[in-house]
Amino acid sequence: MTTPSSFKPVSGPRPGETAWLWLIKIITGPLLLVVLALHLIVNHYLGSTSSGLMTYDDVIAYFQNPLIPAIEILFVVVVVTHSLIGLRGILLDMNPSRRVLSIITWLLALLGATSIAYGVWLALVIASKGP
Amino acid sequence: MNNQPSSKKFLAWFNPLGRQPGSWAFILSRITALGLTFYLFLHLVVLGRLAQGPQAYQEFLALAESPIVKLGELAVIAAVIYHGLNGIRIILTSFGIGVAHQQRLFYASVALALAGTVFFGIRLFGG
Repeated sequence: MTTPSSFKPVSGPRPGETAWLWLIKIITGPLLLVVLALHLIVNHYLGSTSSGLMTYDDVIAYFQNPLIPAIEILFVVVVVTHSLIGLRGILLDMNPSRRVLSIITWLLALLGATSIAYGVWLALVIASKGP
Repeated sequence: MNNQPSSKKFLAWFNPLGRQPGSWAFILSRITALGLTFYLFLHLVVLGRLAQGPQAYQEFLALAESPIVKLGELAVIAAVIYHGLNGIRIILTSFGIGVAHQQRLFYASVALALAGTVFFGIRLFGG
């Protein structure tokens, strides 16, 4: 890399974290803040009760707009990806051997894929419970 | 080699003395990351009740009104605000923006997280 010597990045990929993973993490971070804000406003301020929690009927009604399952699916993909790349970064600090690291990576990828599949399934099931 | 792990260094993780603000920012970011990851999977599992029908979900809502769960939710709020703002700070400084102010940005992240916690704490527990 040809960065001038006067410029030293304060943060960047951890050792063992590829630049791609790091880039995904810093792109999904701000994206999450936007989707999370939407998610919280809708779930806690647009329900029919004053308690701030949506009733079952509220949730089903909310999911009838096709945009909503789409946003929630995007949310689950982004948040699971961000959190598991972050978790991998923390595990990297334990200085695992290459072999252990590749097992960790595969386990986290499996956990991520399963969680996303579950999230998509759940969003579609909820949407299908409408009238 | 100074960058090799050792059990002595592991214990040093828990020594609060002699740390710079940047070290505290890092530790808080770590703790909130682990907490939020735990919450994320808990949240996904619990919301599975929506697939089981109205009664199963209603039981969960009743549980969500209990003070302990509300306290947990408040911790999630505090963690989200801090982790999000500190994350923005790290991204900015990664690209060389605001590096001179990074310590103040960290204190601002903590202050806003505390303010948000108080605000939502009143909303959650203030009746």
